[in-house]
Amino acid sequence: MTLTLAETVAVTLIGGLVALDGTSVGQFMVSRPFVAAALGGLVAGRPAEGIAAGVVLEALHLAVLPVGAARYPEGGPPAVAAGAVYAANFPPVAASATLLVTVLVALALEWAGGRSVEGMRQLNVRFAGAPAEGLTPGALAGRHLAPVAIDFVRGAALTLVAVLLLGWLLRAIDFSGFPSVAVGTLIRVSVVAGLASALRLFGRAHYPLFLAGAAAGVVVAWLA
Amino acid sequence: MLLRSFAVQGSWNYQTLIGTGLAFVLAPALKEVYRGDGEALCRALGRHTELFNSHPYLAAVAAGAIARLEADGAPPETVARFKAAVRGSLGTLGDRLVWLMWRPMSVLLGLSLVLAGAAWWVGALAFLLVFNALHLWMRVWGLRIGLRDGLQIGRTLKGVPFPRIGDRAAQAGALLAGFAAALAATGRGSRPWEWGVAAAAALLGIALGPRVRPAAMVAMVLALVAGLVLART
Repeated sequence: MTLTLAETVAVTLIGGLVALDGTSVGQFMVSRPFVAAALGGLVAGRPAEGIAAGVVLEALHLAVLPVGAARYPEGGPPAVAAGAVYAANFPPVAASATLLVTVLVALALEWAGGRSVEGMRQLNVRFAGAPAEGLTPGALAGRHLAPVAIDFVRGAALTLVAVLLLGWLLRAIDFSGFPSVAVGTLIRVSVVAGLASALRLFGRAHYPLFLAGAAAGVVVAWLA
Repeated sequence: MLLRSFAVQGSWNYQTLIGTGLAFVLAPALKEVYRGDGEALCRALGRHTELFNSHPYLAAVAAGAIARLEADGAPPETVARFKAAVRGSLGTLGDRLVWLMWRPMSVLLGLSLVLAGAAWWVGALAFLLVFNALHLWMRVWGLRIGLRDGLQIGRTLKGVPFPRIGDRAAQAGALLAGFAAALAATGRGSRPWEWGVAAAAALLGIALGPRVRPAAMVAMVLALVAGLVLART
């Protein structure tokens, strides 16, 4: 199953808004991969499946820091597309293999999204770069809001590319005979490694707390 | 000004960084200060589009303080010196507290809830509420103290317990990272033999830090290629 035209349009628009939330407007962090993927899944009618793809993307995005002019991947728009397409294809022929392809395409497009942000920031110099001698309030608003509009279009386009590419790949690849258990394990351990990598942000001095949390997690999983 | 501060990074560019955005935030205050003198207003707006950078949430502090200086009639050189002096510290302060500590901790809270079996919206909502509680407070508080203290803002910022909040967030974050990692490793559908592999992966993740992302990507590409080959044979 694939997204309908109306769902594709909705996902594309959400991708544009999520791109704005990433840097340009708001930064309420709706653009975090697990939230964005849940929104994508919601459009497809299966938010829980959307967030399943989002959890993997989020774990691998945890240690990415958007500091200053650093180069970093853009998590939001590809996650919206990943959540929507994965949810629309649920239940898949091979769940883990479908998730693997979804995550890989999203990770590649996160990288592409990061590069497109760099290009946009260079383009923005034309609109908002050179300090002017004088500016009317209207001219200033125009110089500031044109890049916002460009960012929305960029995010929407990236999301649409991700939806189309993922939809095509999931139709084209024959997943029958795929080693599902091994792929499922790889995804699971990638999530674990991604979550654990966050300890580097907080400082290795907090290792005892990490271990205490892990012990609590094992108990909760056992009780459940 | 507060509403405009949400779009301070809208015109981020490699020449003036968020300079144009800061001028956009300041515009309503400058219109008041230079009421009746359109030429002076245009000059002031042009002046404030010069290079500026800060953590986006703490840009409200700078905007408030600059508006106060302009209202007090401070000379443009003083305002420019002030902007140059605060931009580094506002960036470092915000980056460390928000991006390095508070956001990962909030994300891990949301992920932990989802991995523990909570409904998708519970995890997403918990993350958004916790994260944005600090976010919104920083914007509102920042603009208020900026407008109140003007040039003395440095003294006020020294007294703010940002480092303590960051330390507590780091402690909670480390605890949640372990909790979420254990749930992901041993949760629904996991097999006992995977637990040892997951423990090794956790140690590898801690060792690799941000490099875990490319490492996982390479492993996934290899798995996809191997899977496709195996599926054909």
